[in-house]
Amino acid sequence: MSKLLLFLLAVAPAFAQDPRQIILEVQKRQRSESQRYEGTLEVISQGNQVATKRWLYQRIGSFGNSKAILRFTAPAEVKGVGLLIVNHPDRASDQWMWRPAIGRDQRIALQDRSTRFFGTDFSFEDLEERDVDQYDYKLLADEGATWKIESRPRKSSQYSYSYFWIKKDNYTFVRIEAYSKKGLVRTIDYKDYEQIKGIWTARVTEVYDVARKSRTILKYEKLDYNLPMKDDDFTLQALRREL
Amino acid sequence: MILLRLISWPYARKHLLRWLLTTAGIVLGVGVFVGMRTANKSVLAAFNQTIDRIAGSAQLQVTAGDAGFGEEVLDKVRDLPEVRAAAPVIEATVSYGETAQSNLLILGVDMLGDRNIRNYDLEGEDDADQAQAIDDPLIFLAQPDSLMVTKKFAEEHGLKVNSRLPMRTMQGDRTFIIRGIMKPGGLANAFGGDLAIMDIYAAQKMFGRGQKFDRIDIALPEETRLEDATAKLKAALGPGFQVEPPSSRGEQFESTSRMYALASNITSVFALFIGMFIIYNTFAIAVTERRSEIGILRALGATRGQIRTLFLVESALAGLAGTFAGVAFGIVMARAMAGYIGGMLTEIYGVAQSPGDLTLDPWLIGAAVAMGLATSLVAAVIPARSAARVDPVKALQKGGYQTLSEGENRVRRRWAMAFGAASVVAFAFSRFGIMTYVGYLLAILAAVLLSPALSFWLSRVLRPFLAGVRPVEGALAADSLIQAPRRTSGTIAALMLSIALVISLGGLARSSYDSLADWMRIALNPDFFVTTAETLSSRSFVFPGSLADGLRSVEGVTEVQPVRSVRTMVKNAPIMLIAGDIGMIAKRVTLPAVEGDPQEMYRLAAEEKGVVVSANFARLHDAHLGEVLDIPAPDGDLRLPIVGVVDDYSDQQGTLLINRSLYIRYWHDDAVNVFRVYVNPGADAAQVRQRILNKFGSQQRLFVLTNREVRDFITRLTDQWFGLTNVQTAVAVLVAILGIVNALTVSITDRRRELGVLQAVGGLRNQIRHTIWMEAVAIGIIGVALGAAFGAVQLFYSIEIARRDLIGISIHYEYPFQTALILIPVILGSALLAALGPAESAVRGSLIEALEYE
Repeated sequence: MSKLLLFLLAVAPAFAQDPRQIILEVQKRQRSESQRYEGTLEVISQGNQVATKRWLYQRIGSFGNSKAILRFTAPAEVKGVGLLIVNHPDRASDQWMWRPAIGRDQRIALQDRSTRFFGTDFSFEDLEERDVDQYDYKLLADEGATWKIESRPRKSSQYSYSYFWIKKDNYTFVRIEAYSKKGLVRTIDYKDYEQIKGIWTARVTEVYDVARKSRTILKYEKLDYNLPMKDDDFTLQALRREL
Repeated sequence: MILLRLISWPYARKHLLRWLLTTAGIVLGVGVFVGMRTANKSVLAAFNQTIDRIAGSAQLQVTAGDAGFGEEVLDKVRDLPEVRAAAPVIEATVSYGETAQSNLLILGVDMLGDRNIRNYDLEGEDDADQAQAIDDPLIFLAQPDSLMVTKKFAEEHGLKVNSRLPMRTMQGDRTFIIRGIMKPGGLANAFGGDLAIMDIYAAQKMFGRGQKFDRIDIALPEETRLEDATAKLKAALGPGFQVEPPSSRGEQFESTSRMYALASNITSVFALFIGMFIIYNTFAIAVTERRSEIGILRALGATRGQIRTLFLVESALAGLAGTFAGVAFGIVMARAMAGYIGGMLTEIYGVAQSPGDLTLDPWLIGAAVAMGLATSLVAAVIPARSAARVDPVKALQKGGYQTLSEGENRVRRRWAMAFGAASVVAFAFSRFGIMTYVGYLLAILAAVLLSPALSFWLSRVLRPFLAGVRPVEGALAADSLIQAPRRTSGTIAALMLSIALVISLGGLARSSYDSLADWMRIALNPDFFVTTAETLSSRSFVFPGSLADGLRSVEGVTEVQPVRSVRTMVKNAPIMLIAGDIGMIAKRVTLPAVEGDPQEMYRLAAEEKGVVVSANFARLHDAHLGEVLDIPAPDGDLRLPIVGVVDDYSDQQGTLLINRSLYIRYWHDDAVNVFRVYVNPGADAAQVRQRILNKFGSQQRLFVLTNREVRDFITRLTDQWFGLTNVQTAVAVLVAILGIVNALTVSITDRRRELGVLQAVGGLRNQIRHTIWMEAVAIGIIGVALGAAFGAVQLFYSIEIARRDLIGISIHYEYPFQTALILIPVILGSALLAALGPAESAVRGSLIEALEYE
């Protein structure tokens, strides 16, 4: 299951307290045929140094069977660097990176998915969608306005387990805590929700890397759903095209 | 202990200079032994450290010779469940700095996943105050000019984050930007800190490597056994790949460097032998000198055992002093040698390292002490035994030398003949490796045992000549040598061995240069060599094969021969594989054939039906015409029969020559290390060179070396190698001179009464001086004659050992008459100089004391 893209999608009404059903309902409410936004990333180091980058994100297809291209637009040194993600319902996604200055695309190996995504506090794994059936869920607590759900991956993952906090009223993620065998790895908080085309959407996501003590704040601008897009724009050839 | 304090110490203090001279041989022997071993060990330690630090947590490494392999191999490796992490690597050494005198090891890595294997602790990564150093992997990845350097390198070159570093790449001159500074420790300490990291895909472009990697570093899951993973990887990748732990590269180097250590061991043993004779000589004389002292001691109740022990302990102490001085000398020598060996290592194994601190092995120092001690004890055994046998009554009588009896001489001669004959027999069985060394040792023993008889005989031959020059002084000088051969036999033996060592080293150098010159004349006949570096040996950068057409289009160029040379593991050794257009090369170059028909072998090789191997490869790896070689290539073993063996000195490990088309097909690599360029007969070579530089020089890293420059470079490399032997030569000559000084000092002391009597009966001071000078010159003449003769044998064995066990190359036997001629004035002049001091001491001493002596 996706940890990042999942919360990028909107949520819809729930109808059960079975944790798997809750997650399915989250996915259902976030469902859209396409998505586009311009993101601003602020990576704030332990020493409060801030590195800002911008990217353009486009997705086609619905949850578990989607393709996305993320392309950096600023600063100038990174402009054109892109990432193509092809999600599969039954296995880990395929990911390729494109670097225009070198003129090379590079497949992101599965073993590298736990590494930091281009110096942010996200990992490559955080960017991929995983099917609900690839995890076991347990409802840990009903905390009034939210459910606390434990998720354990059935297949290989950098995380041993994660805790999700999901709002009961609109089935949106509030917080994720991801743990490895050694303990808490990172936390993800979702803020400033608003409805766009009927989908509840967080406008700010904040990731905290426990080991590095650094934060990444992702702000979504010009976010829209269900725009007309072509499959051809989500291929390796498309990735290699300049902006 | 009391005897040492009361008897030995005053004697040693009185003859301090003589004692110091006595230890010179031990200093040299121990010095060479410690120096070479320490240099080897230090380079190996630095090499292993570099390997370890660069390898990070990698447990296995996949390689396919230094040609590298395609990127698709990485996916094959990563697909295996036995692999937790796999990180591709490109390694290259580039020169930097205004004079390009220093080397920077550049490690091209995949910055996305490399931290699964290696740890880069960056400056400022966890330090709020370090505003200058922010680690931004995206910019690092996005910009191919990104470079990460160590803190040490940055400080030494005044670099900070965002500083610029110019470098000449295969895409022309490029400026790189420092985008990260690694903290000291771990990886950052590899190669003495002269290390830079760049993105592997950028490195491919910079070094012209196409879409290839040099190596894949692999980390295994905790539960996976190394052997299982190795087997799975080998099965998945095929025979063209080596799958080994990082440490195996160190083991390969160790076995290579061991061969080079052998050469220095021979010099070391030789020097100790020389030292042994000097000590023997000194003690033999000391026993004669101190006969009355020994007689008194015996009369006072000292046992034979105590006298023997006294002399042995004195010798042991002298040996120990020499050993410690030798260790210090060895350490100084090791510093110089480490650079040479390091260069060889970088050249052969492609892994750069810079030996920083010397690694002193306590076991090595222990072995050196044991060697020095044993040598001095063995040398003193005979004099100590003689001392113990001194009859107290006779000893207290004045006069009476202990002379070498004819019987003793006859026994020595017989032993010498027996050893000489055995040495010839051993050589007849030299196909069994060890027998060459046995024969060599027996030849040395025969020469040493024969030297007293020969010096006696030569002294008699010299007598009329010396008497002809100065009737009285000449006759006295010759008679001194004839009557007391024991006094000088040790010195002459030492001198003979020293001169033989110098002759053999000089001969080896001369023969090597001549053989090399012959080879260069035949093999290196193009007008120009277009290379990627100022030297032919650097293989970090490569040209695309397509440049050949560009070069051919340059006005004045008549022929271009692209050559690719890569090191690959054949018969478990890193062998140089040379791929060229053999049809074209054979028209211009025909190397002397050792096995096979010259025309036929090149024809078959050009038709991809065989491989031509160098004679040194054939000798060192016992390969012969017709044998099928398995040459590992990324797509599987290339099996080719040996169709010819030729004398080729391109590489010390041996070379294999195959057709380039075959190489391109099997290695999927059309890269070129060097283009051999021939110019039209009528064209102006300088203009053609300039045209090539104008056309291609600005687009890419390219050097056009003239034939003379390449030959000079190879000669310089050879000079460097023989530079090491020059140190040994110089010290050997020095020891020879010191030996003469020692012998004369002892001789004067020994003959004080005789010289006093001469003066008393009217001998002039000048006559005494001349007698001593002539005796010195006579020792020099005998030493040079015997050394020059034994040098011929020594040179024969040196060439044989070099051919068999060191480089495998047949070097023509060429006696270094020039060296021998130079040695005559050097040794005779030195002998004369050495005689000045002792002669003055002989004539200026008190006549009464001299007459009272003994």
